[in-house]
Amino acid sequence: MATSWVLAEYGDEAALCAAARRLRALGHKRLDAYSPVPLHDVDAALGLRRSPVPLIALVGGVSGAAAGYLMQWWMNAVDFPINVANRGFHSPPTNIPITFETGILVASLSIVIGLIVLAGLPRPHHPVFEVEGFRTASMDALWLSAEVKREDEEAVAREMEKSGALQVSRVPEGSR
Amino acid sequence: MSVETRQMATESALADLLEGPPVLVGSPEDRKLSEDIFRPVWEQTRRGWLALFGITLGLTGLLFSAIAYTFAKGIGAWGNNIPVAWAYDIINFVWWIGIGHAGTLISAILLLFQQKWRTSINRMAEAMTLFAVIQALLFPMIHLGRPWFFFWLFPYPSTLGVWPNFKSPLLWDVFAVSTYFTVSLLFWYVGLLPDLAALRDASKSKAARVAYGIFALGWRGSARAWRHYRIAYLLLAGLATPLVLSVHTIVSFDFAVSQLPGWHTTIFPPYFVAGAIFSGFAMVLTLMIPARKVFRFEHVITQRHLDNMAKVMLATGLMVSYGYLVETFIAWYSGNPFESFVFFNTRARGPYAPIYWLMITCNVVVPQVLWWRKARDNTIFLWFVSILVNVGMWTERFVIIVTSLHRDFLPSSWAMYRPTIVDWSILVGTIGFFGFLFLLFLRFVPAVAASEVKELRRELEHERHQQSHDQAAHGS
Repeated sequence: MATSWVLAEYGDEAALCAAARRLRALGHKRLDAYSPVPLHDVDAALGLRRSPVPLIALVGGVSGAAAGYLMQWWMNAVDFPINVANRGFHSPPTNIPITFETGILVASLSIVIGLIVLAGLPRPHHPVFEVEGFRTASMDALWLSAEVKREDEEAVAREMEKSGALQVSRVPEGSR
Repeated sequence: MSVETRQMATESALADLLEGPPVLVGSPEDRKLSEDIFRPVWEQTRRGWLALFGITLGLTGLLFSAIAYTFAKGIGAWGNNIPVAWAYDIINFVWWIGIGHAGTLISAILLLFQQKWRTSINRMAEAMTLFAVIQALLFPMIHLGRPWFFFWLFPYPSTLGVWPNFKSPLLWDVFAVSTYFTVSLLFWYVGLLPDLAALRDASKSKAARVAYGIFALGWRGSARAWRHYRIAYLLLAGLATPLVLSVHTIVSFDFAVSQLPGWHTTIFPPYFVAGAIFSGFAMVLTLMIPARKVFRFEHVITQRHLDNMAKVMLATGLMVSYGYLVETFIAWYSGNPFESFVFFNTRARGPYAPIYWLMITCNVVVPQVLWWRKARDNTIFLWFVSILVNVGMWTERFVIIVTSLHRDFLPSSWAMYRPTIVDWSILVGTIGFFGFLFLLFLRFVPAVAASEVKELRRELEHERHQQSHDQAAHGS
């Protein structure tokens, strides 16, 4: 199916959110907004759900800590018991620091890997970059994008213009 | 004027007095802010930068030649002996890792406490953390004796058939420091993503666009990505906070878990953490005062930031002084003759007494001037105070390590420690290498987090709007 990207710049967050709501009501679900800083109301307007990153962090942290503890127990008490000043081979208090560190390490790595995967990165080439004016999205401008079927392109662009867009551009997929 | 409005006026005047200078001067537009903050990246290389770069590059060369010499000759190239088996290697390790702690404190702990004054200084402080931890990581490596076997520290299945001893604080240290470096790097990089994307989009040459484009990973500032980004950044801060406290705690265990008088004290973990933050804030000030001047960042790194950092330095300095007091008190109160000997004879009156008194002067006496607003407002004065604190914290580690070791339990085992030229080269070399990395950072990466300052501006405007709204409601 031939798709097309329609991009529009808006002057403020309220206009962008209103346009996003309107397009969603018309049945266009593949919307996204772009801004130099995180916006507050846009998530609801785009109908985005809560991020699963905290869950990923929790799973990563717990499994990292568990693996760290098991590693110390297995290596120092089972596979190669080391007698240190006649303390028990399995000595829980001495295992606390490394258990804590491996927990933090794996949790942090899972957060960052999770963020990269969920945000669809790394992707240096993206249809939105085809629009020269889109460079301002990282500076001071707010942009809205809609990924639509080629035949809806015209209607969506008109809808965006009607909702107060400062400029509208279209990028047909595979047009380069 | 009604009583109410007069009361309002006094309250706001009082608030102004308490708040001091603003965290952001004026309310610059996003475009202006980005231009100001990115200017050092785009502008022509300055002569001063080149000169400093040359010097630090030379010192980096000195560092690696000294390390190569050490590898060729062995640890005998240093002044270490028995009983002073730990000396500059561990002094410098603890000093550098402590300096790193302020960066994490500023970027993570102050973020969780929603302190607005962290925003424009966090990037530089985090970079300082990374580069300081790199210096710190060098030392345990090169003091191994046979550094080419450094990987024996890690638990990997080897033909030797043994595993590391996890009951040793030295191994805890390996995990703590490597985790600290990894998490600091991730936190810094995640914070950089939006700015790297902005640099990519603002770049005029193709080479710059491709280079920043690769590191920006194709960040588009999309709402779908921001949603994950915001929570990921906050969670990383939440994890970095206990981590930074654990790192210096574990470093202090290297000492406190041993039986040596002067090391074997329970106050070491909190006292080490306070000392780390103390020295780290000093280093942030040492770097930031000139950088802010040269790059004309005075409107984003305001007097308020310097003032607050000076106050944190004063507070942590007092904690460190308390640490000195308590360990001395406990040495006397315990009635242990060996403990008392270290504190009342070896340190205060022994052959290294001048270094001990230099430590007391720099860490206890000098910071007291920061009680005065005039001292905190004078940036040049503040810069000299920060240098003295850096020196003081280095001497503290010297006092802890060398004075405790050089007088063993038996007087027949006593020996003096003198650093060799190789020791000095490595210390000076790491300072150069640190400066080298920091200069590269200032040249190629925005030293202030532009995206976060933009967010801060919105917050401040919102607050101002709210306040004027409230006042109007009261007035009617």
